[in-house]
Amino acid sequence: MHLLEVENLTKRFGGLTAVNNVSFNVDEGEITGLIGPNGAGKTTLFNLISGILKPDSGTVKFKGENVTGLESHKIVNKGISRTFQVIRPFRHLPAIANVMVSCLCPRMKKKLTWLKSPERKALDMLEDVGLTEMALEPASNLSHGDLKRLEIARALALEPDLLLLDEPFSGMNPIETDYLTKSIRRMHLDGHTMVIVEHKLHALMKLVKRVIVLHYGEKIAEGSPKEVAKNKKVLEVYMGRVI
Amino acid sequence: MTEMVTSLLRRAYSSFASHIFDVPARLLAFLLFLLFLVMPLTNPGYFIYTGEGYYILGILVVANIYAIYAASWDILAGRTGQLSLGHALFYGIGAYTVAILYKFYALPLWVTIPIGILVSVSVALLVGFPCLRVKGPYLSLVTLAFPLILTGIFFMFKDVTGGELGISSLPAIIPVPPYTINQQRLAAFYFSSLLLAVSSVILYKIANSKIGIIFVSMLDDEVASKASGINTTKYKLLAFAISALFASLAGAFAASYESSVGISMLALTMSFYPVIMTILGGIGTIYGPIIGAFILTILDRYVLKVVVSDALAHTHIIERAEDLAPWHMIIYTSVVIIFVLAWPRGVTRFVVDKLEDLEEARELEEIKKKKK
Repeated sequence: MHLLEVENLTKRFGGLTAVNNVSFNVDEGEITGLIGPNGAGKTTLFNLISGILKPDSGTVKFKGENVTGLESHKIVNKGISRTFQVIRPFRHLPAIANVMVSCLCPRMKKKLTWLKSPERKALDMLEDVGLTEMALEPASNLSHGDLKRLEIARALALEPDLLLLDEPFSGMNPIETDYLTKSIRRMHLDGHTMVIVEHKLHALMKLVKRVIVLHYGEKIAEGSPKEVAKNKKVLEVYMGRVI
Repeated sequence: MTEMVTSLLRRAYSSFASHIFDVPARLLAFLLFLLFLVMPLTNPGYFIYTGEGYYILGILVVANIYAIYAASWDILAGRTGQLSLGHALFYGIGAYTVAILYKFYALPLWVTIPIGILVSVSVALLVGFPCLRVKGPYLSLVTLAFPLILTGIFFMFKDVTGGELGISSLPAIIPVPPYTINQQRLAAFYFSSLLLAVSSVILYKIANSKIGIIFVSMLDDEVASKASGINTTKYKLLAFAISALFASLAGAFAASYESSVGISMLALTMSFYPVIMTILGGIGTIYGPIIGAFILTILDRYVLKVVVSDALAHTHIIERAEDLAPWHMIIYTSVVIIFVLAWPRGVTRFVVDKLEDLEEARELEEIKKKKK
């Protein structure tokens, strides 16, 4: 049994089919990359899996259980957490409280006993992404890179079984990209299963073993980074048609 | 035994001191409240025997009621971002429940007030459901409609609600006979001050608790809040319920204090009062609306109606003190506009920021001295 099974997922916005009959599986412990040109439907696919949008047809199974069309907070509590492409911090709250919100959901209430308070857990997560010094700063005072990391801390605080990262490297400078690559590697070693959407192929290809390529909502290729890089269709999509 | 009591008292005092005295803004608020409480005692003759003292006490009781009412709006609007423009619904339900239960069953206040709160909270949960389907200005519009709907229903059942006349001659708060009306009003003043103190502490505690953090997360970004696994529907309803609880407490107390209820308790102005008070005082702070309620109630009922009118009449700018009445609303709203322009984030935020700056400067001085 796969951890996540996506079958024939379709989503239409009026006449536009944003995600068209996409199927793929994610196994436990692996990092999967999801790439494709702008408007390929990557973020829509994430929104469908995480319950922010409801698919028109198709199913999403998580740990063998059908989670298609469930409300997003229910899906989170089942163990799928995500980050957003455009950062969505709670600007009025200090960094630590941003992470604490995650620690207060039903899933974490079960996991956190009196031995570990939500505050402690939140602080640990901030330490993991290197934001300890910023713990009491309001999120509105944090830089873009810090907020990106805060977003990841928030998602990780849910101790997810599957983590969906939507363009984690966007807007980051090379040093921050390096730092994040390292932390994703560490997360992978800790046994986290991840799906990463990314435009910066260079950073992504170093991380993943398997890549899924979307184009106009359809899956056009799947395989190891090397295989995909040689795939004719993929080359056409990225480089233009060979005449 | 006595040792235990003294140690307990000492611990209670030290926890109180660390909560209140170490934060300058809280200390200031505490001192103001203390001053407020002892004020009637500084001149008992004036407050217990004169008509003017009676009038001033009345204004302060109303200010207390509005303060609870405005703070209840703030936890809903300022903390979760649900800008309700129909808060009079809860205030009115609290008041009318007390009145109707007294009119038909002659139940005492300590029974009717909790029932009023219960009814109001249940209505809040009912009303909450359609409200949760809409966001932003649409939510405000939907909430705006509810008190109007209730007004219509009240007019349909005139024999129960009294229609436009309302229900009057309700029992007073302290119903023991030998007291004079001044003494009763003094009792109402202390009772309402107690209610305000308790409700504001509870609301402040909720706003700064883990639930409060979740509330603010919904205000900032609901989608992200859901992505953190929070059932936002549940917490929005909770915010509605908490808010309705304190609004109806204010309404129920107002009904028994004024010993009458009327349809004006559901009027649009009644829904807008907490909004104006909260924005003037500082939205999202809980203490802001309380200060705002005091500023506006005293401005409205004392400064404009008594001080300014009398002064103008004395200097013969106007003939009689009542002649200022047509100008009343114009001056009142102008003052509100000036306040909001001068301190857009609220009067209290401005004061708190200033106090914190002073505290910071003082700490820096100390560090410098130590270095020397």
